[in-house]
Amino acid sequence: MARDTTSPSRFHVILPTRSPVRAELPAFVSDVRPALADPAGRTAVAADLAGLAGALVPFDPGGQESLTVAANVLRRTRHLRVVAEFHPGVATPVYAAKLSASLQRFAAGRLGWQVAVDLDPGVARAQGDFLTGDDRYARAEEFLTVAKGVGQGTFDFRGDFYEVAGGGFAPPLSAPPFPEVYLSGTSPRALALSRRHADVHVFSADDDLGTLIPELPGLRYGLRLSSLDAVGEYAAQGVTEFFVQTEDVYHLGEHVKERALAG
Amino acid sequence: MPVDIYWRIHMEGDQPSLRRRVRSRGGFTPGGTAPGTRDGLDDGYSHADYMAEVARAAEESGFVGGLLPNFPHTDDPWAAAATLARETTSYRFMVAFQPGFLHPVQAARMTATLQQATGGRIVYNVISGGGGPAQLWWGDKVDHDDRYARTSEFLDVLKGVWEGGHTHHGRFYQVEDAGLPEELAGQPFPEIFFSGSSPAAIDAAGRHADYYLSWLEPFEALAEKFDAVRAHSDTPPRFAVRVDLLARESEEEAWEEIRQGWQARAAEEGHAGRGDSVGVRRSRSFLAEAGDDYRGLEVAPNVWGGFSALRDGPAFGLVGDYHQVAERLDQLLDLGVDAFILAGVPHLEEARRVGRHVLPLLKGRTS
Repeated sequence: MARDTTSPSRFHVILPTRSPVRAELPAFVSDVRPALADPAGRTAVAADLAGLAGALVPFDPGGQESLTVAANVLRRTRHLRVVAEFHPGVATPVYAAKLSASLQRFAAGRLGWQVAVDLDPGVARAQGDFLTGDDRYARAEEFLTVAKGVGQGTFDFRGDFYEVAGGGFAPPLSAPPFPEVYLSGTSPRALALSRRHADVHVFSADDDLGTLIPELPGLRYGLRLSSLDAVGEYAAQGVTEFFVQTEDVYHLGEHVKERALAG
Repeated sequence: MPVDIYWRIHMEGDQPSLRRRVRSRGGFTPGGTAPGTRDGLDDGYSHADYMAEVARAAEESGFVGGLLPNFPHTDDPWAAAATLARETTSYRFMVAFQPGFLHPVQAARMTATLQQATGGRIVYNVISGGGGPAQLWWGDKVDHDDRYARTSEFLDVLKGVWEGGHTHHGRFYQVEDAGLPEELAGQPFPEIFFSGSSPAAIDAAGRHADYYLSWLEPFEALAEKFDAVRAHSDTPPRFAVRVDLLARESEEEAWEEIRQGWQARAAEEGHAGRGDSVGVRRSRSFLAEAGDDYRGLEVAPNVWGGFSALRDGPAFGLVGDYHQVAERLDQLLDLGVDAFILAGVPHLEEARRVGRHVLPLLKGRTS
């Protein structure tokens, strides 16, 4: 299959959300190393310098909070698109939208949302989120409807999970674009949610892309990869957004990105 | 005990002066500053760039940090604090929020992430709600008095999560074995500045507040309010007051600034006019007999109740020369105030002015 040259591959680095373990220096070597501050920010700057498209701050229950990390990463970079992953239980949709509208104002509209809908039930309960099954998709649907709605002028909403009366942002909070929405999942509910709300649907490497992509017309398709070996094949299937975890961002920028772009 | 003096940040955009009510700094009025335009194009700066200037001016001028308020029309303080965390050195970010906005686990995770980034410079201003239609704007259906019950439960859960292994099945929140991960655990819990003038608020403050925070009111009324909080608490909190200042070399100069602003003031009411805030109603009651002459709003020497006509925010502040303003602040310390949140317009230049000319004149508590 010929590559679609109008949709080049775009690379997004998955940022660290935990402090790195430092190398043990031999005892006789003078060790005046400062604590490594801000690993996510440093990686993001590398990605920006290397010309990559974006960065993803994952929802990591064992690490730092993603929207907070994303704010700092946006501040430290100039061009990078920064996607923060979180689940709808963290905040009301109005508040999530307002916080994000400010981040968009501060960073020229470079923020994106990866909305995590399915969580491990134990993790969810520890986050204070006891919703299960299809209700999680129903809530995500309302969450995105409300969050998008308040940015578009006067807004009223009465749903099963949220209610807003006389809502809606005034200028200048209503001015920035809504964050690009990234969603995942292969169930019929997940695909239906993506059709309504996603800009990008993000797959895993073992998903059956040939069957799933035709169910999501008009979106962009992303993939979380552990290795870049098969980028060309996935690109041929229509995937344009590649999420990779790497400690060598410059190498990715200087070599792999060009190789993939050159097809 | 040292007195912590904060300097507010204008999340609503900043005015160049009190003489004209236009928020031209921060992108709230087209054609202003940060963002501005250059050769007809957006100049690439944002409100965050200007706020960073205010934060740095504040920390260099003797303030321990700043209050970042939060209203429907303002930028968001969590977003601002997370954006500016690593651009300041000693600046404490006092983030204003209502418990209804965030789940307490999320609040704990965001706070701990910021504590890690700043070395423990996050402070809370917990607001239980300005109320009325504004609450439904936020998507919050909980009634006024119930909001304080929720605030109490929110803070209980937040503290439990902070300590770890927390399970809670309450009226507003439930969590199961919730805590902070090793990456984020073990950091100082933020000081809590608690706002609210109603009896329900004062009740809740007694349990949770490190500081009970009030707008400036006529000094006797303020003293009564503090007494009421003391009466409701086993261990009374410390007291903080939010005070706008208009301080100049001479008294005449200061009042001339007010006179010009008063003449030019817009006829319409500010944002503070809506909602079921008891604080707003209290402020109005003090001004009922003041008349329309701006000097008539000086309810006691240098205590002026007309600020809300000249900029967003509370009615009362201090107007006078540097010595007079410093003396009034000293009187407030004698009244039992332990911390200040000062403000002035524009927040950038006035931070430097107050730091240079007013703070050095403070004598401290005499009694």
